[in-house]
Amino acid sequence: MDTLVNVAHGFGIALLPVNLLYCFIGVFIGTLVGVLPGIGPISAMSLLLPVTLSGTPESGIIMMAGIYYGSMYGGSTTSILVNIPGEAASVVTCIDGHQMAKQGRAGPALGIAAFGSFAAGTFALVALMLVAPRLASLAIAFGPAEYFSLMVLGLVVLTFLTQGSMPKALLMACIGVVLGLIGLDSITAQPRLTFGRMELIDGIGLVPVVMGLFGVAEVLLNTEQTIKRDVINTRITHLLPSKEDWKASAGPVGRGTILGFFLGILPGGGAVVSSFASYALEKRLSKTPERFGHGAIEGVAGPESANNAAAGGAFIPLMTLGIPPNVVMALLLGAFVIHGLQPGPLLITQNPGLFWGIVASMYIGNVMLLILNLPMIGMWVQLLKLPYNILFPLIILFTILGVYCSSNNVFDVYVMIAFGIIGYFMRKLGYEPAPLVLAFVLGPMMENNLRKSLILSQGDLWTFVQRPISGACLALALVLLIAPLLPSLRKKRELVALDEGA
Amino acid sequence: MNNDTNVKLRLGNSELWGGLIGLALGGFVIWSGWRLKLGTINDPGSGYVLFYTGILMCVFAGAIIVSAITEGGPTLASRWENVRWSKPLVLIACLTAFAFALEPLGFLLSSIPLMLLLLRLIDPVRWTLAVPIAVLVPSGMWWVLKRLLLIQLPSGLFGIG
Repeated sequence: MDTLVNVAHGFGIALLPVNLLYCFIGVFIGTLVGVLPGIGPISAMSLLLPVTLSGTPESGIIMMAGIYYGSMYGGSTTSILVNIPGEAASVVTCIDGHQMAKQGRAGPALGIAAFGSFAAGTFALVALMLVAPRLASLAIAFGPAEYFSLMVLGLVVLTFLTQGSMPKALLMACIGVVLGLIGLDSITAQPRLTFGRMELIDGIGLVPVVMGLFGVAEVLLNTEQTIKRDVINTRITHLLPSKEDWKASAGPVGRGTILGFFLGILPGGGAVVSSFASYALEKRLSKTPERFGHGAIEGVAGPESANNAAAGGAFIPLMTLGIPPNVVMALLLGAFVIHGLQPGPLLITQNPGLFWGIVASMYIGNVMLLILNLPMIGMWVQLLKLPYNILFPLIILFTILGVYCSSNNVFDVYVMIAFGIIGYFMRKLGYEPAPLVLAFVLGPMMENNLRKSLILSQGDLWTFVQRPISGACLALALVLLIAPLLPSLRKKRELVALDEGA
Repeated sequence: MNNDTNVKLRLGNSELWGGLIGLALGGFVIWSGWRLKLGTINDPGSGYVLFYTGILMCVFAGAIIVSAITEGGPTLASRWENVRWSKPLVLIACLTAFAFALEPLGFLLSSIPLMLLLLRLIDPVRWTLAVPIAVLVPSGMWWVLKRLLLIQLPSGLFGIG
């Protein structure tokens, strides 16, 4: 009963005209960046982070969340019609989606992607609504040791799932921690690694780092290639899937939704992992696996549902524990902090309007996305015809403006350009930026919780092992660290390892 | 990978270079942590986490170096094989020039040439399209930010913008 009252309260907030407008802007921009290859939700969210300052916390966070789940919807359009993933979570949709389009079945492919995403998004929201308050009440019992160990686990899971060698990913995570510690020590107020520069006293900003590593570096990488787009030119008809299509897709949508939701909750996991996992699952369960790769609708329905469910599930660790499970959620944490809010176990009780307003806005956003993605598909197809040689200078200009506006400081533009160049060379040498960014956000929190727990336990390191939740997290992290040393597990890791940052 | 693109203990081994840079960074972080004071385990100081993170960095960089020596790695040149390596270099040069020009020239006088260079140098867009985009987009953005959102953009020594 309480939940229903809270949901009603949430809808009261989400349906305010201003919040509806922000929600629409969020899902529209999300779909746009999902459709356009070369700019993903991370770049778009960091670009718009300063805009959230102009409204209430609810409005800003509703818009940011809309960009995230909107991009999951939009990414499928590019994958199906152009065979270029609009964002990393849609990579797997290219395999069967584009084949369907080539066979003249672009309509049902786009239709099932949109309906599957809608069903998964709705399920994830209901689950978020039911699970989050309960988990939050449990999380109140968490002490600094538990928080520290959970963050260590999150970082280890992400490094485990990152493409390439694990020592490289771990090195990136360590560099992220160090970068996060630049500035004044939160306990002693001593400046660290500031090299006497006043601009570094407050540390390096998240926005320039993310925009550099993901936005500018991505553009630098793209300019190396001649990007040719083979946009399907035929008229897209029959967006509503047939009875046979529905029959074939019902199972994959259901399984993808549940799998995606649980993988989304895991720290370090997320939409990319879940879409690949769902594709592998459907292929394994299929009686005719040879159809996969040649236009099987199950290969579109499962992954698209999984990545949307994961996008919803990822809100749980952020809202209940205050720990972002991936880079996108780290940016959302940034939006909370900008407004002086701290997501965590107390958020739901102290700020119920905010939490339930965001959840309710996601329902509304899901409906908006269905409308944006189906009847307006022609508009998105036209947009896909915008050549990359015109698009990338615009992306560069918007990133420069976005970074400058976030702090009104030219120094941040320099930081972004520097990180863009560093990010390009990192990617060329096989170092993924995702662990660095997550560690950059978690680093100061980890340090704070580590030092607090050592002070509270009077220097007893066993406190991390003796407390059951903390001990379990560290044990799991240890298993994941050792796993790549075993040849059979190493092979499995290579199969699931993904380019989260793309 | 053939023998020319996968080398072990050679200067061209890109994995080795990556590991060595990581090792140098790790060493610097250890030194910085030490200078900031480690404190005690009961009361960790400002350099405590930095010091131990630096040690971890050296361990991981060491693992990369060992793997580069034992298993080999692609050469630096092979990382840029079959790609238009000059294009990102041009882009980096443009961005660096822009970074230097932004404060003295201001947003408008630095971003219009940047846009024009990007539109013409990477995958050339015809002049009749490049010039209007390079002029109108930054000017439009400047107008929106300055007039509508009241955000002050750098105006430079000439006070333009």
